Amino acid sequence: MNFKALFRHRATELSLTAIFVLGFLLLVATSHGVLLSRESLQGFLTYLAVPIVIGMAQMVVLAIGQMNLAVGAMGGVSAAIMAVLMADHHYPIWLALLIGFLSATAMGAINGFLVVVTQLNGFIITLGTMTILLGFQYRLVRTFTIDAYPKSLPDFGAKNILGFPLILVIAIATSVILSLFFSRTSTGRRVLATGGNALAARLSGISNGKSVFIAHTLSGALVGIAAIITISSLPGINRSIGGDWMLASFAAPIIGGVLMAGGTVAIYGTVVAAGVVRLVDIARAQYSLDPSIVSLTVGVVVLSTVALSELRRRRSERAREGRKVAA
Amino acid sequence: MNTELRIEKVSKSFPGVKALNEVNLIMKGGSVHALLGENGAGKSTLIKIITGVYRADSGVLKTNGEEKFFNSPVEATDAGIAVVHQERNLIPEFSVEENITLHHPPTKFGIVDRAERTRLARQALETLGFDIDLNERVKNLSVAQMQLVEIAKALVTNAQIILLDEPTASITSGETIKLFDVIKRLKESGTAVLFVSHKLEEVYEICDTVTVLRDGESILESKPLSEYKQGEIVDAMVGRHLADRKVELRKVNRSVEPVMQLTDIHTALGHEKISMSLYPGEVLGMYGLVGAGRSELARSVLGLHGISSGELKLNGQVVEIKSLRDALHKHRIGYVTENRKEEGLFLDFPVRKNISVTILSKILKKLGVISFQEEDSVSTKYVDRLGIKVVDNNQLAGTLSGGNQQKVSVSKWLAADTKILIIDEPTVGVDVRTKASFHELIVELANEGLSIILISSDLAEMISLADRILVMRDYQLVGDLDNSKDYTTMSRGIMTAIHSA
Repeated sequence: MNFKALFRHRATELSLTAIFVLGFLLLVATSHGVLLSRESLQGFLTYLAVPIVIGMAQMVVLAIGQMNLAVGAMGGVSAAIMAVLMADHHYPIWLALLIGFLSATAMGAINGFLVVVTQLNGFIITLGTMTILLGFQYRLVRTFTIDAYPKSLPDFGAKNILGFPLILVIAIATSVILSLFFSRTSTGRRVLATGGNALAARLSGISNGKSVFIAHTLSGALVGIAAIITISSLPGINRSIGGDWMLASFAAPIIGGVLMAGGTVAIYGTVVAAGVVRLVDIARAQYSLDPSIVSLTVGVVVLSTVALSELRRRRSERAREGRKVAA
Repeated sequence: MNTELRIEKVSKSFPGVKALNEVNLIMKGGSVHALLGENGAGKSTLIKIITGVYRADSGVLKTNGEEKFFNSPVEATDAGIAVVHQERNLIPEFSVEENITLHHPPTKFGIVDRAERTRLARQALETLGFDIDLNERVKNLSVAQMQLVEIAKALVTNAQIILLDEPTASITSGETIKLFDVIKRLKESGTAVLFVSHKLEEVYEICDTVTVLRDGESILESKPLSEYKQGEIVDAMVGRHLADRKVELRKVNRSVEPVMQLTDIHTALGHEKISMSLYPGEVLGMYGLVGAGRSELARSVLGLHGISSGELKLNGQVVEIKSLRDALHKHRIGYVTENRKEEGLFLDFPVRKNISVTILSKILKKLGVISFQEEDSVSTKYVDRLGIKVVDNNQLAGTLSGGNQQKVSVSKWLAADTKILIIDEPTVGVDVRTKASFHELIVELANEGLSIILISSDLAEMISLADRILVMRDYQLVGDLDNSKDYTTMSRGIMTAIHSA
């Protein structure tokens, strides 16, 4: 593949990478190198893990042309379950985390099941389950902050592998596995086929119901991983956990090049886009900007990315018409 | 003054390709003008320029003497130009009458006048002699019914210039006759009609003048049609002499067990007492008017809709097919849909993935990982075998021409090694040359032992391809004819079956 073709096919990834690198360098330069200090770098990378994983959790549902509005609520409940089991019931860490992870997966499976059975769009179903789960989360945590769990958990969360935070490594590894799932397994392909054209998928002998169920369940499992990362990297769990996940979960995949219509995933794009969003966060801290600036910036970036990708789509469609004429 | 539309030296380029090169065309009121050419010759581009969808790079468009390109379809409609596009432009969730009156819904005091709307829509449909519930949502209609609604939509605008882009591609001969009556009446009332079709018999029946496009150039420009023989027109279109395909009678052994046998099948959709047999290596034709229930029968048998009673045997075994997945993986039956864009292809996926979609579980390496190598070799095999024109098999299916898309949609079933293939209207909207290669392919596949059920509304195609022709009317079989492949006797036989009974 020559450079031109590479650029055309990977335009989103390349420009995002460029933005990320430039933004990073700009921040390094304007902060007189503070960002390169061990602690800042560590902080930057550690808090990149959750946006990546929840971005993936949203991406797998976008891949079938649906949305999961309950990403935050599922994560909040899952983390709360883990915390309550450890603090109030003295479960061993591994068991508490496993149960929390499985319950997030089950919540995803329930979403998928409801979508398939009712034939309603995931938007409506997850809007419903989100509300129910938020209620459940408040019941579990109330107004407390739960932090009475064994110290080995935050220790685990602070571990490094080859200089990188362990939890970031987990997030990246999850992304790599997901990427293999979609490109190299027949199940992943079928899920994408359902998202690409459900009618054609059905006529090709693919069960769309199964694809929808798998996508939502997978989304739940990814939320479970995000909850594990959260509980091991934060000092305590309260009812605000997951509250700011929803916008973030859409921002990364959409900026990263995933189509709302379904049929595509963009793992690398989503990861880098999560990095770009993190940079905005860092910039805020660096220059003590108003927190609203972050929301504002991310919102504008999401809007302009969607608008740009729509423009690109139209241009390629016109080119497509042209090529058809040539054929 | 007389209606006239003039196109002078119109050119249009798309990135990397010259779609139209100094094309000329003159349409006059009271005359039907044929616009002919292979797929990709530039016909649709020209129509889109006339109607303001595309902007020409250079040239002149004169409507009744006024020199002006339209900036949008709305402007063109307001100037008295109506168009029936090849791709349907209907709103699926709207009713038939809402769609027909979409451009200018009749209003009274600023709100839609429903009574008037119904009257207008009914009038248009009556002109077409087409009976349908005006309140039915368009999404529930068949392809042919949609096409007729699209034509009715053009009629209500009282346009002086009507452009028909393949209006007969998906309607039956009966409906075509009615449409031609309408065109004749329009012509008598002084309307200028542009008629695009791949069916030359129809063109000769209805058209007065002709323009032929080839690779974006006008080879014949607004010539009287009567001065040209059919062969000359085809030569102008394809640029070389196409030898007439030999029509051969094939031998099918019907003393063996049928591969598929239906006995007294009734379906939830209303089929009654359907009994038929398909023999190994046979091309079994299914002819019928639109709405006769042919596709619906195929879909019912394949498990998409239910079978309420009756017996289905495959290779002598009574079976029940619950879903298309069953049909494909357990019984090796494939179904090439008539709506290739909507149901046959993943337009945003590469050709490679479109072909491998039916065999994903068969091209796995260890650990359940898809072997790209095998996927590549399988798809390349069918791209070569069917002569699909692609840059490479990573080209997106949506960027292929209609005929090539159809070939991709067939490839996925061949890749899955199906034993029975149901092919539904394979050559709708496909040009002469691709059509011929498609016909050759069908015969070739049957000769290799594939058993084929061919559903087609194209009588000539049916008679030249099928070994036996079943005729369906109102969800019942009304004829079962051995095909002598003689057009005159066979067409008479089929029509008798449809209209008697």
